[in-house]
Amino acid sequence: MAMANSPLPNQPSVSWRPPSFSTIAWKALTRKPGRMVGLGILLFYILMAIFGPMLYPANLPVNPANIYAPPSWAHPLGTDFEGTDVLALILTGSRYVLYSAGLAAFFTVSIGALLGLVSGYFRGWPETVVMRIADFFLTVPGFPLLVVLSTVWDFGNPVSMGLVLGLTGWAPLARAVRSQTLSLRERGFVEAARGLGLSRAEIIWSEIFPNTAPYVAMHFLLAITGSIYLEVGLFFLGVVPFSTNNWGVMLNLAFSQAGAMYSTRALPYLLSPLFCIMSLTFGIVLFLGAVDEMLNPRLRRV
Amino acid sequence: MSADLSTTSEAMKSSHIVCSVRNLTVTYQTDAGDFPALHNVNLDIQQNQITAVIGESGSGKSTLALAMLNGIALPGRVTGGTISLSQHGDVLALRGKALRRLRGPVVGTVFQASQNAMNPLRRIGKQILDLGRSHGYKDPRILLREAQLLAKKMSMDPDRVLTAYPHQLSGGMRQRLGIIMALVLHPEILLLDEPTTALDLLTQSAVLQIIQSIHRERQLTTLLITHDMGVVAEVADTVVVLYAGRVMEEGRTAAVLRHPGHPYTRALIKAIPRLTGSLDQARPLEGSPPDLTMIPRQGCVFRQRCRYRMALCDNESPSLKQLEDGHLTACHWEGQSDD
Amino acid sequence: MIEIRNLNKTFPATKGMLSHGEVHAVRGVSFRLDDAGAISVIGESGCGKTTIGRILAGLEPHTGGDLIFDGVNLNKLPVAVRQPYFRKVQLIHQDPYTALNPAHTIVRTLTSPLMLQAKKHGRDASWIEKRAQELMGLVGLDPRGTFYKYPHQLSGGQRQRIVIARALTVEPSVLVADEAVSMIDVSMRLDILNLLRDLRSRLGIAIVFITHDVASARYIAADGALCVLYQGEIVEYGRTDDLIVHPVHPYTQAMLSAMPVLRGLEEPGPDRYIPPEGMDEDAAAEPSCSFSPRCRWATEQCRTRHPPLISWHGMESTETHYHACFYPEPRRVVATPVQ
Repeated sequence: MAMANSPLPNQPSVSWRPPSFSTIAWKALTRKPGRMVGLGILLFYILMAIFGPMLYPANLPVNPANIYAPPSWAHPLGTDFEGTDVLALILTGSRYVLYSAGLAAFFTVSIGALLGLVSGYFRGWPETVVMRIADFFLTVPGFPLLVVLSTVWDFGNPVSMGLVLGLTGWAPLARAVRSQTLSLRERGFVEAARGLGLSRAEIIWSEIFPNTAPYVAMHFLLAITGSIYLEVGLFFLGVVPFSTNNWGVMLNLAFSQAGAMYSTRALPYLLSPLFCIMSLTFGIVLFLGAVDEMLNPRLRRV
Repeated sequence: MSADLSTTSEAMKSSHIVCSVRNLTVTYQTDAGDFPALHNVNLDIQQNQITAVIGESGSGKSTLALAMLNGIALPGRVTGGTISLSQHGDVLALRGKALRRLRGPVVGTVFQASQNAMNPLRRIGKQILDLGRSHGYKDPRILLREAQLLAKKMSMDPDRVLTAYPHQLSGGMRQRLGIIMALVLHPEILLLDEPTTALDLLTQSAVLQIIQSIHRERQLTTLLITHDMGVVAEVADTVVVLYAGRVMEEGRTAAVLRHPGHPYTRALIKAIPRLTGSLDQARPLEGSPPDLTMIPRQGCVFRQRCRYRMALCDNESPSLKQLEDGHLTACHWEGQSDD
Repeated sequence: MIEIRNLNKTFPATKGMLSHGEVHAVRGVSFRLDDAGAISVIGESGCGKTTIGRILAGLEPHTGGDLIFDGVNLNKLPVAVRQPYFRKVQLIHQDPYTALNPAHTIVRTLTSPLMLQAKKHGRDASWIEKRAQELMGLVGLDPRGTFYKYPHQLSGGQRQRIVIARALTVEPSVLVADEAVSMIDVSMRLDILNLLRDLRSRLGIAIVFITHDVASARYIAADGALCVLYQGEIVEYGRTDDLIVHPVHPYTQAMLSAMPVLRGLEEPGPDRYIPPEGMDEDAAAEPSCSFSPRCRWATEQCRTRHPPLISWHGMESTETHYHACFYPEPRRVVATPVQ
């Protein structure tokens, strides 16, 4: 009994309090410079989505005398077919894109994780029901479904866009979380929690979920990029009415109105939203590793 | 004349050494610095003997097993020393084809949990054929016939076990098949890495009996790596006690068990509960198993858990000293042990 | 006090050709455990010992027989009301590596069950922290060093202490230790065994110790009972030392023979014999002695009739001692120390 009470003489003294989450997060971020770059890109776009639209009037000015202007000091990214500043379009269009993608990822992750946990833990009929529905969404091709849905659903509102993307996109995550839960529920610690009298909700939420959290968080970030592709795709195809300005609308107009495929004068107009989408994706991918390390204690370096 | 004699006997002696490890140092590189998992380890493996290496987790015994196969991979690195096999030279210098010949045909290995060393999707017999093919046998079926004979000898039904998938067999059967798979290539050295750790005692003793009888029958040279003094006592001719990557003691098993020279060996023996006698005879080891990052750089590595610690132990690391013929120990303490 | 009477557990067999059949994991097992008592259940893997432990802890429903906890027959209670009884029996898992949530710090592992207790007894948050520290001290860990660590930062022995501390949060009257030391370094096992003995003597917690290692079974239940299980049935039962000194069932003798002999320190028992491993688990046709296919003394009677569990009145043995063998014969299989 006495043995473990006496720490070995030259063991380094151990901290009484654990490092706080912010310390852990900061360490995870700074361990690789790429992660800081990723975070920087993410913050840049988030700030753009919040403050960008505030810089411009609700209706951007048109100038028929100055269409397809090349980049200049007045118009750093040139102008479009109406003579509107492309930078202004990018800045004001970012809010819809990011807001709806964020909501979509939020819905995807909350629905997917919850259904995955519940169906994996309870087995039986909840599992059967949830998994059959998930199979339905996995087999029905998502993008054409959205195209069909767009005839009856108003996508102009970012909330409704996010909701629909979430409702159609949760199935892969639910499947993955379920299979993780199936393995976790057989572990000794879940059994011990049952034996100690913890309620089922507590077991699912505080014993099983933290073990899937790193995966779920990464899925959240990837769902953001996935949703951006989907919504931009919908606008690009032109199946959704252009009620607001956003990067997808820009791509569509650059392609159809400005004929960016055939002439170089609309190139800045086409490339600007493309660059934004790509760099945002790039930032998220760079940032992923840090999230895993923040939430997974086994990856942390003390 | 006498000089001649001594050289002959010296030569005879060394001809019996199949494998000799000299000053082997293996270092693991981490963010927090480099830590030696093995430090200046010397070891001779005699022909036709079962040599056991015993140690707790963190003693470096698994690193030693890997080094025998020249399989140390990053973050580990061999930073010094040699492992020479009598006919193959320095194992650590082998590359390519020669290295592939080392693993299997020269050193046959049985891993701790054989089920993990087997392909779960292939029948055992097929895996043995694969083994033959990858080692260039013209007719790999020879191996299968060999395996059948061995299986029968180990009181298993050859037709059943060789057509089975690993998951269809019990732990003891898998372990015996692991031994068969190591033996079909006729290795010169049989390396057993914790061969009975996951097994019941009854299965363990059956497997140990098999190891012993096969060893004798085939005149093998066997290196057994374990953390269990009971296993050592059952089968090993010689034992090497490893602690924190250093050799603490070595000698004939019976001699080491009867008169352990090192406090660590004594404590290891004391820590085994017995079936007879007073319960208080068993005494736990003090402290916890060595942690690679906390091994002192200077002095005796065991001193923190040692009841005979002296000032000398803090500064000077003890070298191996002869207690009697072939029985060596690395300890400064020379007084009587009180246990 | 807990008592099981004629306990049965059958699992539906879902694999292989027996898809319509059942697997009898536990068959007619009865024993009694007094308050602060100790009983060791020994047997090979697959003998049903784990199932008994899980049934006692309420993690698995039984399919026959009675569970009587403190005089209350649980069969007579609605399932929902049984939980508080089962909570008094806590299971210590074999594998301390999966028994702790890898995503939680040690303190969180202890506080979540303590929170339930606090709610039940109307205590505040400060009680929880105090109690968690108290429990850590009870299992011999320094809270300062381990409170905020994650399981992967601890050694196997330390983890098992945490598992025990967590079980103690609900103030159990019985601990069921299922192979609680088999995955821990041999050198650290005795510490955990001592901890269990200590909890028993200090807190009056009864211990059901499930193992394949007779020596640790004896260490825990030296003053208690030993129960030898083979294929779900008790084949021998009695006072621990009585059974070790005068085992009459060939299977008990096999289990005792399997204990490694420390050659040099011990002399193997003259009747030591290790039977071959069972070729096929379902080979023994009913009715028969299930050990008969492996028994060297089996006769026609053993292969055609099922031996009942009857008491043994031979030699010095005066205490309760039961066996299920047609030809009980005490044999000397245990090693004796050499002088």
